[in-house]
Amino acid sequence: MLEIEENNDITLITQPVSLAELKQIAELRFGDLVKGVVDIEQKIMAIGGELHADEEAYLLAQGSHQQNLWGINLYPDKTFPELVEFDSMINIRPSQNNRSRSVEDENIRKVIFEIVGSLITASKRDPASAVVKN
Amino acid sequence: MDKVYHKSLAAGRWFGMSLAEQLGNVGSEVGRAIAAQKSGEKQREENAKERAIELFDLTVSDIRWSARLKELVRGREVLVDWFYGNNIYGSSPQNLEKYFYYFAYAARKAR
Repeated sequence: MLEIEENNDITLITQPVSLAELKQIAELRFGDLVKGVVDIEQKIMAIGGELHADEEAYLLAQGSHQQNLWGINLYPDKTFPELVEFDSMINIRPSQNNRSRSVEDENIRKVIFEIVGSLITASKRDPASAVVKN
Repeated sequence: MDKVYHKSLAAGRWFGMSLAEQLGNVGSEVGRAIAAQKSGEKQREENAKERAIELFDLTVSDIRWSARLKELVRGREVLVDWFYGNNIYGSSPQNLEKYFYYFAYAARKAR
């Protein structure tokens, strides 16, 4: 079962979900893609929105701080870490020296990978087998 | 008089479309601009760019999205930067087309 809170189309992920569940969410809207926004401080993410800005607004309303939020795309047909794509309009944030849709700071990308790796697992039964590629 | 490419859309039809339909249509024009650029057809490229911006501006003016404007106006800025600016946001034809493609996909899926 998904450990989630749903708000319209947005799902807040605070506990591990499986790739299969992620795939179901992808199929609801974009086919092979799920948009997500990660809070690198709270180590949670909101997924499933139509726009990254919708998920960002959702997390801000939950108490997240703007500077901790980064937009990603998740491709559940791929394996970790390739399933994560750093490409979102909300990432353009010159105040944090990020001037593209990517996440330019390697350390932040690393944190995002860690969070996504811990929240998306290969199967529901075995969260410990988080989809980590050697 | 201002040039308007999409008269019936500007007159109201656009505002009956979902956001995914709107952005999917913007993406069609972006795709045409990219295709014309590749084939060196300057006038076709310019016309497609203008149509893309016109449609994007209709979306930005759609009061239904007033609480979601951040991404929309940022998206317009990125597009115009790639069309006419110095590409300070590092866009490419591939990542622009991909951004819009998924809205077109979602719009078709919703039908």
